[in-house]
Amino acid sequence: MSVRISGFIREAYVVSLRDLRRFWQNIYWLAGQVAMNIADLVIFGLIFRGLVNPQLIPDYIRFITPGVLCLSIFISAFTIGREVGVELRREVTHYLVSLPISRSALVAGRILGGVLRGFIYQSGFIILAVLIMGSPTTEKWVLTITASTLLAATMSSLSITVSTVTRDFNLQAAIRSLVYFMFFFVSNVFYPEKALQARLGSAAPIAYYSPVSMTVSIYRYCFGYLQSVDLFFNLTGLTAWCLISILLAYRLYIRNLTR
Amino acid sequence: MGMKGKAIEIVGFTKKFGDFTAVDNLSLDIYENEIFGLLGPNGSGKTTTLLTIATVYKPTSGDIYVFGHSASREDYEVRKLVGIAFQEPKAMWIDKPIDLLNWHARVVGYSGDEAKRVVREVMELLGLWEHRNKYFYQLSGGTRKKVELAKVLIQKPRVAILDEPTAQVDVLSKHALWDVIKKLRDEGTTILIATNDMFEAERVCERIAIIYKGRLRALGTIEELKDSIPRGDVIEIQFDGLLPESLRSELEAYGRFELRSNALTIYVEKGEEKVIDIVDLLKGGGVRVKKIMVKEPSLDDVFTYLTGAKLREE
Repeated sequence: MSVRISGFIREAYVVSLRDLRRFWQNIYWLAGQVAMNIADLVIFGLIFRGLVNPQLIPDYIRFITPGVLCLSIFISAFTIGREVGVELRREVTHYLVSLPISRSALVAGRILGGVLRGFIYQSGFIILAVLIMGSPTTEKWVLTITASTLLAATMSSLSITVSTVTRDFNLQAAIRSLVYFMFFFVSNVFYPEKALQARLGSAAPIAYYSPVSMTVSIYRYCFGYLQSVDLFFNLTGLTAWCLISILLAYRLYIRNLTR
Repeated sequence: MGMKGKAIEIVGFTKKFGDFTAVDNLSLDIYENEIFGLLGPNGSGKTTTLLTIATVYKPTSGDIYVFGHSASREDYEVRKLVGIAFQEPKAMWIDKPIDLLNWHARVVGYSGDEAKRVVREVMELLGLWEHRNKYFYQLSGGTRKKVELAKVLIQKPRVAILDEPTAQVDVLSKHALWDVIKKLRDEGTTILIATNDMFEAERVCERIAIIYKGRLRALGTIEELKDSIPRGDVIEIQFDGLLPESLRSELEAYGRFELRSNALTIYVEKGEEKVIDIVDLLKGGGVRVKKIMVKEPSLDDVFTYLTGAKLREE
């Protein structure tokens, strides 16, 4: 049994190396994304700092920094799905499924590839967050990394799910944009939760139960912007998102791999 | 085949895609350490069969066994025994041969340094080393095919599946690749080649299965297949104009014939003796003969005789 598990881990790890290599090859895309995330921080931070009601957001830069930290891992982990989709259309998948690895390890490796992309991309923004907000305590670092892992696995799996839910490329692109947009804007990254509840009405639960919002709340707590947060709700919610997303990705990817 | 065991056993294998039957009730055995050819035109079911052996597809019915392991029930075990070079290279435009092959070496079990060494050896053998850092879209069709073959040479599987391995490869390189394929067999690998290149099949394969429209039409060594044409020689005649209907029944008296636009192929005994009579018959019917050839049957002739079709549409 232990040999089988170590074989599975090795196979998944080797699969993830391919996705990591490709991540660095998209160097212009990476540069563009980093510029965009830093622009989020600078533009939103500087413009809204004096405009927003200080009772809602006392310091917009300290408010937005954990949000951008969350976006960085979400965006980079989400890239894996686009490649999975292109590979399925061009039948590169035939090569992957012919390799001497188990199908489960293949799916796990692709998800892991997305997670590792997320961590690598986020590392620069973590340093930025520490510079702006100070370093969390050891316990809060553990909490930060846990939240990052759960969100990265969720986003990596969801992006694979979106790429495998339909073979219709146009529909797939539309679903991808919708999911991306929902997580990007309908969350507490840019707006405080009180404002979301007041202004979004019946759509407010979308932001409340978003894995992005849950992660941002944890980050804000860990980096000292919030004094307290419902850790049980946020961690349980993130874990549920993570497990459901992995299950969906596994089932749909496997369905597309085997004909 | 003496005491050789079965490397691949295909038993009543059928594969359907929706209503379309790609392969219909195929059964055949491939023995250890032989180079076996699947010969047939495009769309005959060759690639579907190969992809099912490689566990990319699942059989609709029947099964395929690789060294006793079922491709439908023990796919993981089968994949450990099989390596495949695809007909269309499976890579993204952004991939580079060196990265692709280094990663492939890691997947098939080499450690980091060992992988780099083996990859370099194989790339140098196939003349790929100078192309190692080019993007895939910058490579010629022949070079891409060599990258596919390199994957199999790195893996050294017990069963190597090569889908049209020398298509788009220049003539000089073809001969070198055939030598590489034979050397792989000499080192203990069973090789299954799909091709519609009759010359490649004659040059490389020891036994051949002819597949047409998803069904097995013939199976045997090249000599056995050639002997399966009941008459010994093939007369090919090219002519101008149309062949009068009245001549057809008279031609049938000499043997079975195939007519394709301005070319006539007749399967006869003692072709040298009968060719003069046949040409006289055509001239008497007002047909202007342009070119005459009497030859022993080729695999192409065997294929045409068995299916009424050509391997490569002209």
